[in-house]
Amino acid sequence: MLHRTSILQQPNKILYFEKVLKVQETYQQYLMRGISKNQFVWIGEHNLCYTIGRGSDKKNLLPSLDKNADIFTINRGGEVTCHMPGQLVVYLVLDLNNYKKDLNWYLRTIEEIIIKILRQFDIDSSRKKGFTGVWCGNKKIASIGIGCKRWITIHGFSININCNLNHFENIVPCGIKDCVMTKICDFNPHIRIIDVKDIVKNIIKEEFNFNFVSE
Amino acid sequence: MSHEIFMPALSSTMTEGKIVEWLKNPGDKVERGESVLVVESDKADMDVESFQDGYLAAVLMPAGSTAPVGETIGIIVESENEIESVQAQNNNISTAKDKPKKIEVNDEVEIQITKKAVSVSSPIEKEKTKEKKIEVNASTSNSSSRVVASPKAKKIASQMGIDLSKVNGSGPHGRIQVDDVMKAKGQPVSVPWVGEGNTSASIINVNSNKSVQSNNPGNSFGNPGETIQFNTLQKAVNKNMESSLSVPCFRVGYSIDTDKLDSFYKTVKQNGVTMTAILVKAVANALKNHPQVNSSYSEDGISYPEEINVAVAVAMEDGGLITPVLKDPNKTDLFELSREWKDLVKRSRAKQLEPEEYSTGTFTLSNLGMFGVDRFDAILPPGTGAILAIAASKPTVVAGENGSISIKKVMQVNLTADHRVIYGADGAAFLKDLANLIENHPETLVT
Repeated sequence: MLHRTSILQQPNKILYFEKVLKVQETYQQYLMRGISKNQFVWIGEHNLCYTIGRGSDKKNLLPSLDKNADIFTINRGGEVTCHMPGQLVVYLVLDLNNYKKDLNWYLRTIEEIIIKILRQFDIDSSRKKGFTGVWCGNKKIASIGIGCKRWITIHGFSININCNLNHFENIVPCGIKDCVMTKICDFNPHIRIIDVKDIVKNIIKEEFNFNFVSE
Repeated sequence: MSHEIFMPALSSTMTEGKIVEWLKNPGDKVERGESVLVVESDKADMDVESFQDGYLAAVLMPAGSTAPVGETIGIIVESENEIESVQAQNNNISTAKDKPKKIEVNDEVEIQITKKAVSVSSPIEKEKTKEKKIEVNASTSNSSSRVVASPKAKKIASQMGIDLSKVNGSGPHGRIQVDDVMKAKGQPVSVPWVGEGNTSASIINVNSNKSVQSNNPGNSFGNPGETIQFNTLQKAVNKNMESSLSVPCFRVGYSIDTDKLDSFYKTVKQNGVTMTAILVKAVANALKNHPQVNSSYSEDGISYPEEINVAVAVAMEDGGLITPVLKDPNKTDLFELSREWKDLVKRSRAKQLEPEEYSTGTFTLSNLGMFGVDRFDAILPPGTGAILAIAASKPTVVAGENGSISIKKVMQVNLTADHRVIYGADGAAFLKDLANLIENHPETLVT
């Protein structure tokens, strides 16, 4: 029997990155050790911080970056990115043994989820072959970075909603030179982060075919 | 004992992966389940874990480098005193590997073979050569001829022990491509099947050749005149076999041409793929379209399992047999499946399997091909509907429909099924699809 259930955390206040990372790691450990069969989904916002993958090129942190900025090296793939209030961050701690043990499939599924979310707001977006993430034309609206251990995932994706995109100018986002970022409010200024949250929740639930349960 | 760490397949489409970081240094202690390194593909990082307790003895591919799926990238040993010898064996190789890497910036690589040729002359290195059949030809070439080859061709050549300076390149400006290396590998065999009579399509694992060629006496658990009590496992097997006597079974057989399967096996073997994994994958694939053959009898009626779990019979050295299960092979790619299988076999011999790892099969395979048998039939395990007996693949004179005569390698398979749930036509249709898959599309089994 497959255990497709997931715990959902959707806090209303902005949380520090490192705090949520610990929560994710805890649930990943639970699944790995068989302590719990519940997967874990977190939907929320972070205070300003920068994260880089273990294999990332440090050159993508530009000299203009504040020396005191919070920079975290974490166990995900991909290059540097930036989180801040106004950007919706979604973490998925899923057991791919329940789905498909295929990280390419997983990344493409996440892209599909983001495209579906944006479609709800009448925003056309697409994949760009070789550049994981979701794009509106030549501008990047959502970024993906995941880690995986024993086919149990960690980290996830972020969608820019009404955040200050200037922070991205201190880095080379995803290591792509001349990468221009965009956000949902560039297309429709009336959309609030709370509107996106509910849609994200439902689409994830549908796509990964699980029920949300309480802890 | 040493265990190899392979470049894992993070997805079915992945051909190579980048090593982001080694989390352990050579000499470090590692525990079973502990992360040893991180591999990246696209935007996803995967922690690669150790399958056993021991020590990381050698790192064969440094952080930042890229290796094809299935390539050995590190070695773990069980005891501390083995570290030194493994490191000594691999020192030359790892430095040799580092050097060409620097010039791998553009697509075309120029390599000098002499360096490797010299290193082969040390006695330890020779030992290694014998074992892995690497660089056998390279050692005979002392010329410093420059060879232009694609990185992949170069890698495969070094794995297969082919001297690139003797390979004719078919690419632009005589550049050596993967195909050229493959062709060169096949050259010495002028009559393709003669030398291969024993290495049938049904080789179950690496050790099988040994059991075929040596004149080992057959199994015996006692001395003449003695009566030896059954061990627990033997008793359990006896009970299972006896319960089949109350099941109305029938048998249906099929001859399958394995020429394509054999050549497919040859190309994927270097990536650690086992014949068992291929056969399991083929069977699971065919079962997907024949759920009836995956069903079983129960008091309430025909029971259709949620998953296709293929069990494979493995004989135990001290008597009895066990049937480790490969769960839902359709969801796993061939490389991962081969690794899972190797791990299951190793652990079943060490009697470390969990009950759910040998009792959840919905269909069983029994393969005696490595002994050269031309046919046999198997006894149906309780709780399942069918078992497939696989014999050796042997060169056979085949008459074609148009009256032509050819020699093909043919393998006989024999299905034993519970007639209460599986009828003759169900079994026959399943075998027909299985044969079609193996004969015509073995390459689709990769994913």
